[in-house]
Amino acid sequence: MSVVEQLLDYSGIGRKRMALRWVSAAEGQIFADTVKELTESTKELGPFDAQAYNLQLAAVERVLQGPRVRWMTGVDLHVTERGNVYGEKVDEQAFRAMFEQSLKEEYEKALILEVLGDGPSSVREMAGKTGLPVYTVSLRLNDLERRGLADLQKFEGSTPRFVRLAA
Amino acid sequence: MNEVFEPKMLAFLCNWCAYAGADLAGVSRFQYPPTIRVIRTMCSGRVDPLYVIEGLKDGFDQVSVFG
Repeated sequence: MSVVEQLLDYSGIGRKRMALRWVSAAEGQIFADTVKELTESTKELGPFDAQAYNLQLAAVERVLQGPRVRWMTGVDLHVTERGNVYGEKVDEQAFRAMFEQSLKEEYEKALILEVLGDGPSSVREMAGKTGLPVYTVSLRLNDLERRGLADLQKFEGSTPRFVRLAA
Repeated sequence: MNEVFEPKMLAFLCNWCAYAGADLAGVSRFQYPPTIRVIRTMCSGRVDPLYVIEGLKDGFDQVSVFG
């Protein structure tokens, strides 16, 4: 769930749109209080416009379905406490930093793929639609090309246009 | 937008913990806002992160998981 929170932050939706709370069967009062508290915090946020965040939500969904994040979630204890198959342990903070970095990369790549799903587009157009810097788009696009997920389609004048390859 | 904004919140409740907790809250007549729509799951571990996103997509203002 911390993965989802992180992704919601990246997408600009904000982690306050979701919550994970523990309420036991004997804690009716706590349940009522929690609902009250969450209602208040949601009231402050105001209504959520899903249409405006269509692209971001699609990208978050893509990241959550992607293999990289699926592999990385749930192995944290394994890698930080028990060590990998070579008996090497990874520092917990180092792991978290790595995880956040890859989560961010995956999210940016997913955004680009979602934009490309609407048709061929140039780096500048992608940067405009995703809100990412041009340089970041180039980097991620490079990665996507190497993985065979996107490719150069044609040149329009001197502007290269890219397409999405896989679904 | 009308005067008072009533948020629409989706809640996944674990059958054994929070659902019973919510039941108790109802039986004991604790007041809580009528803003949540409850989905009972057999275990909160069953709730895939994708469900949360799906909930937001479908127009809920907030999605929570109670375990």
